[in-house]
Amino acid sequence: MSASGQIGIDHARAACGRDDRLVAGFAALAIAIHILEAAFPSPLPGVKPGLANVITLIVYLRHGLRLAIWVAAMRVLVGSLLVGTFLSPTFLLSVTGAVAALSALALVGTIGGQRIGPVGLSVVSSLAHMSGQISVAYLLFIPHPALLKLVPVLLTAALLFGIVSGLIAASVLQILRRRAAAR
Amino acid sequence: MADPGSEAGSEYPADPRPLIRGGDILILLLAAGLVGASFGAFWGPRGEGETALVTVDRSVLRELSLDQDGVFEIEGRIGLSTVMVDGGRVRFLDSPCPGRYCVHSGWLHRSGEVAACLPNGIVVEVLGGEREFDAINL
Repeated sequence: MSASGQIGIDHARAACGRDDRLVAGFAALAIAIHILEAAFPSPLPGVKPGLANVITLIVYLRHGLRLAIWVAAMRVLVGSLLVGTFLSPTFLLSVTGAVAALSALALVGTIGGQRIGPVGLSVVSSLAHMSGQISVAYLLFIPHPALLKLVPVLLTAALLFGIVSGLIAASVLQILRRRAAAR
Repeated sequence: MADPGSEAGSEYPADPRPLIRGGDILILLLAAGLVGASFGAFWGPRGEGETALVTVDRSVLRELSLDQDGVFEIEGRIGLSTVMVDGGRVRFLDSPCPGRYCVHSGWLHRSGEVAACLPNGIVVEVLGGEREFDAINL
């Protein structure tokens, strides 16, 4: 009785440790991409490729929503500490974007299941990311009609970058799957 | 079933699935439609009816149409201010404040222009149409 209980706890601990290492590794990748992107000048304020979301997407499809939330949370937190935007308006926008993107990912992923691949999920989460950020920016920071004029441009950018990110994620997932199959 | 990630994580199908699946194309079409609609919604022609928004102590009192000329008396914190609409423009005619800065602001007609009588707590702002920036800070 006590022995089986002990084994159960050990299993849980081992799973925990494995998950922790996965989260740490993927989060490190995402943070590196996040910071590389922050270093590049942006053609339009508020527009960046968001390639770090490729990592979130891959983690979601391979390891589920829980780990994806962890990786996104680590990326937003550590990324903002390293770039120097922690607790600034940028940080709040970052959090909003991540929450909106993960919610959309969970919703569409659950409804669509296997019918929807990385590209569809990426586009949905990218548009949700952008919409969430625009809403918060408009409601909290710049309640000016001029911001709304930017919405079509920003959504177009989100759509294009969402497709690109999705294709990257799909290719990476294919490579990973082939490697696993060849093993 | 609810979580596709756990299934994909445990078994890897030998034949790679296509990069873009059927559901993806549906989502792409919907997304393109949504983005296209946003152009219509946010860049479409606005109703030309420009108005002057009158606020007293930060609460909106009334919206004056700039098409209808007239003189309006606005009850403020310290007394009556007079606002005049004439030929698509609006101005303070008189106000019970010491400096009369609001009156000296003169006629307002461009969208976004503001005249304020702070002692009386009255702000008049032109709304609608093409809005011009008063400052851009990137």
